[in-house]
Amino acid sequence: MALIEVQGLVKNFPGRHGSITIMDEIGFSVADNDFLAIVGPSGSGKSTLLRLIQGLDRPNQGTILFRGRPVEGVQLDMAMVFQSFALYPWLTVKENVALGLEARGWSRERQEAQVERYVNVTGLEGFEEAYPRELSGGMRQRVGLARALAVEPAVLLMDEPFSSLDALTAEGLREEVLQLWQDPALPPEAVILVTHNIEEAVAMADRIIVLSRRPARVLAGVPVQLPRPRDRKSPAFYELTDYVYSLITEGSAPAPLPPSTA
Amino acid sequence: MRQADPPVGLSRGIHRRGLIGLAALIAPLATVPLIPGMVSQLPTAALFLSYSFGRMAAAYGLSLAFALGYGYLAATRHSYERVLLPILDILQSVPILGFFPAAVIFFVALTGPGSFLGPNLASVFLIFTSMSWNMAFGVYESIRGIPPDLKEASEAFGLRGLSRLRRFFLPATVNRLVYNSILSWTAGWFFLVAAEIISTKVTLPGIGSYLFSAAQTDNTPELLAGLLVLGALIVAMDLLLWRNLSSWAERFRYDQAPSGDAITAAAPLVSAASGRVTRAAGWMARGFVSGVSRVRAPLVSLGSVTVGRLRRGTERRSSTLSKNALHYGLLGTVLVLGWLALIAISVELFRLFTGPITPTVGGDLRLLPLAALLSLSRVVGAYLLCLAITLPLAIGFARSRSATRYGLPLVQIIASFPATALFPLFLVVLLAPLGGEAVAILFLITGMIWYLFFNLYSGLRSLPPDLQEAGRSLGLKGRTYYRRFVLPGIFSAFVTGSITAFGGGWNTLILAEYLGVGGGTSHLQLLGLGEFIDIGWAQQPQGLVLMAGALLTMVTVVITLNEVVWKPLYRRASDRYRYD
Repeated sequence: MALIEVQGLVKNFPGRHGSITIMDEIGFSVADNDFLAIVGPSGSGKSTLLRLIQGLDRPNQGTILFRGRPVEGVQLDMAMVFQSFALYPWLTVKENVALGLEARGWSRERQEAQVERYVNVTGLEGFEEAYPRELSGGMRQRVGLARALAVEPAVLLMDEPFSSLDALTAEGLREEVLQLWQDPALPPEAVILVTHNIEEAVAMADRIIVLSRRPARVLAGVPVQLPRPRDRKSPAFYELTDYVYSLITEGSAPAPLPPSTA
Repeated sequence: MRQADPPVGLSRGIHRRGLIGLAALIAPLATVPLIPGMVSQLPTAALFLSYSFGRMAAAYGLSLAFALGYGYLAATRHSYERVLLPILDILQSVPILGFFPAAVIFFVALTGPGSFLGPNLASVFLIFTSMSWNMAFGVYESIRGIPPDLKEASEAFGLRGLSRLRRFFLPATVNRLVYNSILSWTAGWFFLVAAEIISTKVTLPGIGSYLFSAAQTDNTPELLAGLLVLGALIVAMDLLLWRNLSSWAERFRYDQAPSGDAITAAAPLVSAASGRVTRAAGWMARGFVSGVSRVRAPLVSLGSVTVGRLRRGTERRSSTLSKNALHYGLLGTVLVLGWLALIAISVELFRLFTGPITPTVGGDLRLLPLAALLSLSRVVGAYLLCLAITLPLAIGFARSRSATRYGLPLVQIIASFPATALFPLFLVVLLAPLGGEAVAILFLITGMIWYLFFNLYSGLRSLPPDLQEAGRSLGLKGRTYYRRFVLPGIFSAFVTGSITAFGGGWNTLILAEYLGVGGGTSHLQLLGLGEFIDIGWAQQPQGLVLMAGALLTMVTVVITLNEVVWKPLYRRASDRYRYD
């Protein structure tokens, strides 16, 4: 049984002249230990898709099954990392990381221990008492990551997590996220990463769902079978990136997968 | 493409607000046939209203000219700015209404006793002071806010002199001026009616005195006719004037401020409407605090020198504590001594120019501290009640889209009706069953509540969507949700709203502690600073020293509150509870 099953998802938004369909019949599934990337042109509703999966928003049609049960209401066994970090400026790093635990009614002592663990895992030691505004962008996203991991979610949802960072910082943090992902002692059973950066998707994911322009449809599910750690300069990496790129720009009619990756 | 958005949303919003406004207008009209004799009163009421309107228009014209000149000078000449801004700050940090009696005395003395002109000038002056500073600051801020590249472009194209003024500076001020004008008229009506009610000693015919005398003679048809014509004028101005001006003024905006996306269609209207209240209120609060801090600056530098000397060698944390204690101790001493000295000086001056102090006045002067305490408790009590009402109300409004859509325009129209016009009616109907204290608190609430409501509401509306979403994603609910997110998130708006609400409260106090109608049957009189200002004025010349003493005391209390409560809170708000 798939961990997450998305079937026939349709989402409309009210526009000025009636409703606009932004998502049309989207379907895919996420398995245990899957690192899934969702790429697509801007405005294709990638972020909305993540919100639907956690139950922060409702689809107009279609269903999402999480462990076989339909998603209704916010799923607390998932956690989200935001592009804007979405840290509470009046809470310290520690308090931000503890927020999900506090919401789940954990005792103070358990919160402390858990926060300490994930502050260490994400390299935030020494910054526990700092406020978000005192941190650099990279450090802030570490807090966002620690906050999501601290609730030990089954599914980690990442919404353009590296897009607000400068190129170098983003690259460093990507590597660290991959290392955390490969550590079997750490929580998420699956990661869903939304991005418009195709290279990022190819570098990180096991599988890439390619969405079309609005209304978004699934153009293809592209498996990434490159060995890890992935070499961005290898011809296979190039070919796959190119392939996904042409899928998005041409909009349809997927060319056959290049032989080196199939 | 985004520019096309606001007008569409706005016109739709205007249409809806228009309907609600009409309904608000028609509903009271339906009562006309029910009250015999009211229709025949309408022309007289309208005549009195026209006198008041004349005063408002005169004061507004003056304010407009003043605001343009003052704001332009302050914004373009740095040397003027340093002088003009502090004056503006001080002007608006005192309870204006308290100074009305003093203004009447001044203008009557200027124009000769019995003159028709004196009280009218005083009234126009009072309305002017309630209108002008907020507009002047609007002009100042919009000229200062002109994007530098536009300024450079106008220089590069050689715009000079009058054409520079007409093509460049004036258009920049239009948007803010329109919004602040709406606010100024609301404040103006409040003060106009108050001034006419207070000025029983002199003849000031207008809608306020009309309502007051109707209440005094228990003439219900007259009272209702007066309220009806006033309400009709305010709604009509809102529908015909302000609404059109606002949508016209939208064209003069530089910023393409987010006006809410397609998903929340009601947003532009709401943000425009509450924005204009809050923007000005936010400035009010800032000015309030900074004005006082300027007055007090010498005291503080004196204090910090002393503190600095004492601090050496002590541990850091305890030294901060002792620094605070010392700071407040010093401040308290200076305020109390300064207050005593000023009272003593006024007493001596009075003795010199007017004559010996009567035993009654002397006794009252000794009661000033008690009066201050009582007035303060009333304002604080009313404030707490306002908070208890507005916080859940604002949360309810902010959460429900239909409340925002239909309830808010109604609330805005109600809020623009001057509460002072209802005081005579309240007094007649409520004094006997409720008692003086309750009626006074009710008056204070009407003078305070809207500042708090609109600030809290707009604070709630501007909670960042990504933090809301993060909260839901993390499973924040109930108490944790409010304690960790909502309450800290609206803290700045809460402080601003509280400061402005207190400003409104001190002004309302002048009426809330002393108001009599119905030939002595409905007479509200409570020991307090507002009462002393009123009775001091009523018993000229012996009472003048009491009036001066009460005013000085009120200003001292206001300054103390600012220093001890609002400034630390404001600093905390801009320090910790800001978004960046």
